[in-house]
Amino acid sequence: MKLLGKFVVGGALALVAGVAVAADAGALVKAREDNFKGMGKAMKAIGEELKAPAPAAAVLKTNAATIAQNAHRVAGMFPKGSGPESGVKTHALPAIWEKPADFRKRADDLVAAAEGLKLAAGTGNPAAVREAQMKVGGTCKACHQDFKARD
Amino acid sequence: MPDSAASSRIQLWDWPVRLSHWGFAALVPALWLSAEAGRMDLHKQLGLVMLALVVFRLGWGLVGSTPARFASFLSGPRRVLAYLRGGTWSGIGHNPLGGWSVAALLAMLSAQLSLGLICEDSDGLESGPLNHYVSYDTAALARAGHELGFDLLAVLVGVHLAAIAWYRFRRREDLVTPMLTGRRRFAHRVAQPQMAPAWRAVVLAALAGALAWWVGQGAPLGAAA
Repeated sequence: MKLLGKFVVGGALALVAGVAVAADAGALVKAREDNFKGMGKAMKAIGEELKAPAPAAAVLKTNAATIAQNAHRVAGMFPKGSGPESGVKTHALPAIWEKPADFRKRADDLVAAAEGLKLAAGTGNPAAVREAQMKVGGTCKACHQDFKARD
Repeated sequence: MPDSAASSRIQLWDWPVRLSHWGFAALVPALWLSAEAGRMDLHKQLGLVMLALVVFRLGWGLVGSTPARFASFLSGPRRVLAYLRGGTWSGIGHNPLGGWSVAALLAMLSAQLSLGLICEDSDGLESGPLNHYVSYDTAALARAGHELGFDLLAVLVGVHLAAIAWYRFRRREDLVTPMLTGRRRFAHRVAQPQMAPAWRAVVLAALAGALAWWVGQGAPLGAAA
């Protein structure tokens, strides 16, 4: 019964692996949503700071750095199996895995715009920061249109 | 048909009521379309006009002409139930059920305004003028609520239109013409309700407009705006 034993062990391992993947997908979706929310919060903070009569350079810099840091993580946070087919509630559309090159391009656009924002924040010029922030927001929007389900 | 001596034609809806009513009717689809088209700049401008109009109508419900006042058209559950059961109602403006329909529509518009003022889109590009008073998570909840709120508003508008059609075809009552002309004919003699003076509407409109403008500036509370 060695063969049967192998099947049983193999089946058990597969089951464990399956559960682990599902748990992983949940944690992964949570982590990437937190990553996006981190950028959203930083965008809001910059937008509010820019409304002040004299925006504080430190606030702009800190938040621009957060956005750039999180932006770099985006492309790597969408492994196969972490879409809606995982059973985890996610706004990630299957198009992400159907058109990986397009998605990668969007993620790279975000990184480029976020680096631009970081540079602009370094200059401390509010008008430049505003312009760079609009570019970042534009990349968010462009990607959401094709790859994110509406609420 | 009753003879003309027994019928009467009265001024029922004054111009503030008609102006706000048709303003709502024009702004709701315009706000929806502007949001769908992604024209958020226009959506926010129209939203502020809507804010002024709703504040104006709510104020007019307190100090306006008698048929426009909440006190004259919001009745208790017993009267509403009696009306629903086909009981007699001898009023001239909103009936006991219709009055609550008006209240529900105004409440829904107010809710949509409140949520719209604080919400933010998921791209961090567009936000309501009062978004800086709330956290990111609250703004995200408000966005979801604003979208759901529109669906509820659409249902209420649907009920409103269906009711107008029902009165037109089943009861042979034309509710649209009085809302256009302000005048309504009754088969029996009714007293002319008291109309509020125009200066009150002008003052109220100025206050509502000022409030909307201030909110549009982000509702600055201090000197540093």
